[in-house]
Amino acid sequence: MSKKKMIKITDISKNTDKLASVANEDLMPLPADFEEKEWDKIPESTSEKYACILDDLNILQIPKPLTKEDEEDLVNKFIDGMRKLFSKEDNWTFLTILETTMEHCAKCNTCSESCHLFEASGENEMYRPNYRTEVFRRIYKKYIKEEPFAKWRSGDIDLNWRTVVRLGELAYRCNICRRCAQTCPIGADNALVAREIRKIFSQEMGISTPELHEKGSMYQLKIGSSTQMNQIVVKDNVEFIDEDFSDETGYQFETPWDVEGADILLIHNAGEIMAWPENIAAFSIIFQAAGISWTLSSDLAAYDSINYGVFYDDVQFARTAILQAQAAQKLGVKKIMLGECGHAHKALTVIADRVLPEPLKIPRESCFPLLRDIVMSGKIKFDPERNNFPVTLHDPCNITRLMGIIKPQREIVEKLCPQFREMHPHGPFNYCCGGGSGYAIMTRNNIPEWRFKIAGRKKLEQILNAFSDCRGPETKKYVCAPCSNCKGQMRDMFERYELLEKEQLTYSGLVELIVNAMVDVKPGFIKWEEDY
Amino acid sequence: MAETVEFEGKSFNVDEDGFILDFNEFCPEWIQLVKKEEGIEELNEEHTKVIDVLQDYYKKNGIAPMVRVLSKLTGFKLKHIYELFPSGPGKGACKMAGLPKPTGCV
Repeated sequence: MSKKKMIKITDISKNTDKLASVANEDLMPLPADFEEKEWDKIPESTSEKYACILDDLNILQIPKPLTKEDEEDLVNKFIDGMRKLFSKEDNWTFLTILETTMEHCAKCNTCSESCHLFEASGENEMYRPNYRTEVFRRIYKKYIKEEPFAKWRSGDIDLNWRTVVRLGELAYRCNICRRCAQTCPIGADNALVAREIRKIFSQEMGISTPELHEKGSMYQLKIGSSTQMNQIVVKDNVEFIDEDFSDETGYQFETPWDVEGADILLIHNAGEIMAWPENIAAFSIIFQAAGISWTLSSDLAAYDSINYGVFYDDVQFARTAILQAQAAQKLGVKKIMLGECGHAHKALTVIADRVLPEPLKIPRESCFPLLRDIVMSGKIKFDPERNNFPVTLHDPCNITRLMGIIKPQREIVEKLCPQFREMHPHGPFNYCCGGGSGYAIMTRNNIPEWRFKIAGRKKLEQILNAFSDCRGPETKKYVCAPCSNCKGQMRDMFERYELLEKEQLTYSGLVELIVNAMVDVKPGFIKWEEDY
Repeated sequence: MAETVEFEGKSFNVDEDGFILDFNEFCPEWIQLVKKEEGIEELNEEHTKVIDVLQDYYKKNGIAPMVRVLSKLTGFKLKHIYELFPSGPGKGACKMAGLPKPTGCV
């Protein structure tokens, strides 16, 4: 039965059980007949310990307040943290855009129409981009800015522990794709608000998600990579990749490490090494074939481009970015280049500008323009017939919408893939894969329900529509998704809806398509079923 | 966060996906517990080989091997590893070997 109901802004403070619920019949319909299972419940072991009062999901682990003091503590710490967000000394990184968002929203709700979560959930009020922001805005006007007559001018809000808990959890119902920010006529950034609320919880209250913090950014800072590969293991694995794929492709290559004075320090998302080693091999093959002067670094955190701080914590962010820039400085490279990872692009090429001191401001670039130049240069011989299967291109939000890197990928697939077709909309107007802002690495409890039923739904619709002329298991199809996070989401979603079996649908990156078309490499680099 | 699972007189601290949190808690009873979950009737030499390889690698490197490495070290193709462990090398074999759940963008 449909669970849609009107939810008011002030409901967030109410002394009730959960506020929102999404039934299968509320979900945006898909152009396919997929069986939707019932929504898994939050396990009791979780709801006993953590405050689960927002909806049918728990992502942020906020301990249940047991006493009056606990309740007050939640509110006081939240307000303390929020105050810091609005001080230049504590939040020089994001203050300007945060204030714009607080002061100038016209409540037109254009943002709602642009949000895939709102649409996919059957327009559930709770997941409007501006719901969370409006609660936050009212708290700001009443308690931080103490604007005269805030209650009447901006609407009232009761700041109690339930408001805080629900707002924290609601900050994890956003992919931070910034489609809403793009569409806003004023430039308000609801995604940033979600991210800044996460920041209050992490930096002020010590509450974050284990995937992003304890087992994410902490592992990266202590061991060198969120994957827990230390410097020895990572080199060992890449050496294995070199040997294994040299055999498989018939193309002898070697990945360079710690080459002083190389032109480029390439930083991969280390998850690729463990889960998608063909991506690592493909980069090495292309760079070697094109005669690029490049290297990887085995320094702490510099062989893993991830920076989960970008999703929840400025301090963890800065610690990681500095280590990566220092590694480049030590090697004396001309520039740092990011591999196929969207949030790493955002972290090191965009946001790091605001935290790196001058000597560490080494030029930082995306890999896509260089890959385009290589493909167009004529240095490598290609046979596009090898890529003669339907291909569509997924645009990672941080690479396209945030950075405006749109054409290089397209020039490559247009040259190398005879059956390339666009999704609609695409480029800067793309939709998130559904894994953005950390979801793609979360499998805890019933989080997959959110990822597959709601967050990834719009992308799945887009993919199926892009292949509307060749649906079914007869035709092999390929989604080019040049981002580790997006690939993680697609792998899990394709598995959930059995898309390999039903649609012969696979996904991988951009460099894989390039190598698959290389004449000097044995045919069949891209595989629909692994045969190693 | 940790939960405790009791089985045949032993107790194990596991995460939400049922992976053991501390490899030191591994004991033969753990294998029996996961075997039941995985729906494996009887363990054969090949299962044991996969588990031994995973544990040796983990003890040396503090992390599970890449799937391709596991395949090389055991001599079993990925498809065969799925035949042995229906949930696959990660959720099936690594879990049974007592390795913690992989982390990061994997």
